[in-house]
Amino acid sequence: MNLITLKNKSREEVATTLEVESRELLLEKFISLGLPHKMTEEYHYFDVEKLLDAEYKTLNYVPKTIVEGDKIEIVDGVVTTAPKGMRVYYEPCEMIDMNHFDALYYLGHLLSPRTIKIEIDGDTAVEILHKYTQSDTLISYRIVLYNQANRHTAVYENFEADDIKNTLVLYGYDMHVAQDSTLRFIKLQTMQNSGYSMIASHKVNVSKNANAVLKNFDFGGDKALNIFKIELGEYAHVDAGHLLYLNNDSKRGTASQIIHRGEYSTSKQEAKNILDGQARGIFDALIRVEHSAKFSKAEQSAKSILLHKKAYMASKPQLEIYIDELEASHGATTGQLDEKQLFYLQSRGISYVEARKILVIAFANTLIEQVKDSRHQDRIKAAFEEVFYTENKG
Amino acid sequence: MSTVMKIENLEAKIGDKKILKGLNLELEAGKVHAIMGPNGAGKSTLSKTIVGHYDVEVLGGDITYKGKSIVDMDAEERALEGIFLSFQHPVEIPGVNNAYFLRTALNAKRKYEGKEELNAAEFLRLMKNHLEMLGMKSDMISRSLNEGFSGGEKKRNEILQMLILEPEVIILDEIDSGLDIDALRAVSEGINKMKDGKRTFLVITHYSRILDYIEPDYIHVLKDGKVIKTAGPELVAQLEEHGYDAIEEE
Repeated sequence: MNLITLKNKSREEVATTLEVESRELLLEKFISLGLPHKMTEEYHYFDVEKLLDAEYKTLNYVPKTIVEGDKIEIVDGVVTTAPKGMRVYYEPCEMIDMNHFDALYYLGHLLSPRTIKIEIDGDTAVEILHKYTQSDTLISYRIVLYNQANRHTAVYENFEADDIKNTLVLYGYDMHVAQDSTLRFIKLQTMQNSGYSMIASHKVNVSKNANAVLKNFDFGGDKALNIFKIELGEYAHVDAGHLLYLNNDSKRGTASQIIHRGEYSTSKQEAKNILDGQARGIFDALIRVEHSAKFSKAEQSAKSILLHKKAYMASKPQLEIYIDELEASHGATTGQLDEKQLFYLQSRGISYVEARKILVIAFANTLIEQVKDSRHQDRIKAAFEEVFYTENKG
Repeated sequence: MSTVMKIENLEAKIGDKKILKGLNLELEAGKVHAIMGPNGAGKSTLSKTIVGHYDVEVLGGDITYKGKSIVDMDAEERALEGIFLSFQHPVEIPGVNNAYFLRTALNAKRKYEGKEELNAAEFLRLMKNHLEMLGMKSDMISRSLNEGFSGGEKKRNEILQMLILEPEVIILDEIDSGLDIDALRAVSEGINKMKDGKRTFLVITHYSRILDYIEPDYIHVLKDGKVIKTAGPELVAQLEEHGYDAIEEE
């Protein structure tokens, strides 16, 4: 399948190509948004057309018997293991957001008529491991995640790939954070030597009095875009953090919308980006406070460090506010490492190369240390240091 | 007299402004030298020049340390050779653990000297001993370097670094500024502990208060980018009484 062939096609033609004749509403949404291209705002810096314009094999997603394991393992879009007692099954997704801004959110749903549904009971921590084994393949799957009201859940998401190349992964979550609950979702992705690109398109509903903590640690190579739309109910809170470390010629980042719908909802979004080589980072993030969301608080910041003159950061934090009764702030900075800090370390006998490493790791650590579980915090620190030290020998 | 550092006809600028204008100074090994002078005389520029700060451009003259010119050395090399500056305004570095930073610095020095590096447990023991002596809280070990420290805590942390790194020439730039009497006493005790007749101190100050605690052997008066007078500690009283304007260039 070559996805670019969907461009400018009629509804009937798209339906026939995707073999989804019965999903009228989704088709209409996908066609009205159109296949993303370089002028599509959230894909503007991403070269999405190159990814779409390639011949991919498609997979037959036949559910397998799920074996008991210590984590949920999804191999090429199919669940293979899950912890005992955890409800993981396939069914059509009923809660699709019909106002999402991303066309590939709909394409993902169209390509995945049955979604992987994960229901997390009680106060639990679960690990989800995604594995990719196929080259030259379009791997497309969607996951629906539910937690329980009044419960505290943590999800740790990791990725592994065989020695593959030219694969495109389209995946994403529809998450439902139940009333009075907390969901901590920690995504760690290191793709330094892997040959797949990824577009992850999510939707997160945060119910009344619920708290969503979404942290994305992206130390990847190649290309990836993390797209999400978050809707906040009354007294709901989201704390979204993004740490990006890029090198060589990778292009990765985040395009997001956080929408305050309920009164007294609060959002905090913090991005830290470290770019080396000829990498391009993307942070295109909108927080919208609607008429119904009086007394909300919204805070957004993006800080970027460029370690090479050819590195580029497209940072675009935006606030869209329709009411007066709120507190809001946003800002973005992009620069080099602080000369004063570098000199201070050197004046104590630490070499320039080592001082630079210490400062970059310190910049990253301020976000990593927000992960409360010390085992996972250490794991993320180690992953970052491994990637960073590999690229900065000397 | 054994000279540890000799500064000859030193000229230096920061930005477009020439600040040091043919400065001469000899530091006798094992002695305490105080540099005093009015605002804008070039005291802080002198300390920055000695440690190789990126702001300073040396236009002429030389600085020799133990017989070797250091003006072309990097800041890190000067530090490894044993030159230490206690900063007037130590910079805050969020995310860098104080103990990790200090152990990295100490081990860099030990490696440079061909000594074995200290492991985490050995280093912590060393650090804790010094913390107690300086009246510093043990959470200084785990806090980020200077982040959220009070003025006094920052200065004590500078002295802690000095005690651990054991440099040979110690430049104290306005170490007394912003300190209350208790902090001043603790900082001075730390400095006096290092006075062993071998290490050399260059105390840069506006006021004589610190010199009540750290007795100087020499007073050098710096004015308009030059040392205009060198004398014994008795000069402090004269300066207190008549001010810098009364001092004539020798």
